Amino acid sequence: MEMMFLGYGSAIAVFCIGIYTIVTKKNLFKTVVGLSLMEGGVLLFMVTSGFVPGGGAPLLPLGPGGSVNPLPHSFTLTAIVIGASDVALALAFIIKIHRHYGTVDIDKIRGLRG
Amino acid sequence: MRFLRSRLPAAALCLCLGWWLWRGLFFSCCELDGPAAHYVANTASETGASNIVSAILFDYRGFDTLGEATVIYTTVCGVALMFSRSRFRRSGWGLSFIVRRGLGLVVPFLMLYAFSIVIMGHLTPGGGFQGGAVFATVTILFCIVYGSSFEASRISPKTKETLESSGALVFTLVGLFGLAQGSGFLSNIGAGFPAGSLGSLMSAGSIPLLNFAIAMKVGAGLSTLFYSMVKILEDPVEGPPPEV
Repeated sequence: MEMMFLGYGSAIAVFCIGIYTIVTKKNLFKTVVGLSLMEGGVLLFMVTSGFVPGGGAPLLPLGPGGSVNPLPHSFTLTAIVIGASDVALALAFIIKIHRHYGTVDIDKIRGLRG
Repeated sequence: MRFLRSRLPAAALCLCLGWWLWRGLFFSCCELDGPAAHYVANTASETGASNIVSAILFDYRGFDTLGEATVIYTTVCGVALMFSRSRFRRSGWGLSFIVRRGLGLVVPFLMLYAFSIVIMGHLTPGGGFQGGAVFATVTILFCIVYGSSFEASRISPKTKETLESSGALVFTLVGLFGLAQGSGFLSNIGAGFPAGSLGSLMSAGSIPLLNFAIAMKVGAGLSTLFYSMVKILEDPVEGPPPEV
């Protein structure tokens, strides 16, 4: 059970660090890093939620303790691919913005003051 | 002071959010139930794969994986479209002689590693996505070590495009084979694919095939993504390479 507390705690911590990065940083690249951190937190949460005490990896033949829940693992694989895709698309947009405005600072981009 | 005023509310907000999430945790563990129990109990008899995660991805929820592959395809299309008419300056000339020779020695082993991840996807942790990512990493290493124009001169973008499309085609054809046998799209053992014996390399019916298709798709797709962003090119009058 302590391991689950540790896993959930670190997932929440990573998620909050990601939100903090998105809220405070002005650099668009750092915002994307924050997005990626949030995604990492959510994936850690999903994998932790599938833990069964005493279970081994979901590979046959199973050990004496049975297996952990394999369903969150496959969902996590799906989510990793989606996350990589949207980070790539965000970075492509940022490259376009940099070529157009000459900066990636949100405050200095024309028309987006605030 | 200004730093405090701008950062402190955000930090407080995030701490509050973290505390709120922590209080809301609901522990429901300790037993497999629902579809997961069925998957763990019946994977060996229904798919013949010994990696349960792989069996879920490519057999029980194969249609989901096809949609996921479509997401990669859409991303690659979007990025390639966005940079289709741009020309960047040459951005890298590569690293020193020792690194070049060293990478030349390492590349065959890297390829072997990626291939083993793909081909053992139904037996051990791994599979098409992971192996394809390693394949893409090899081509990205080419860009870093040999300079940004090396890879385009050896592997044309057309080849990668063909690889990616044929990966999607193989996946769909395997699915349609199940449909033609009358047992449903992407069905595996039910469509007559041989199950083999549990734990041997030639087992699990269509799962190795789908792994290969996904590996082609992911490897070529990620490589295309990277090279659309570093794209160079035909600009030989850039000046001499810097001394390395």
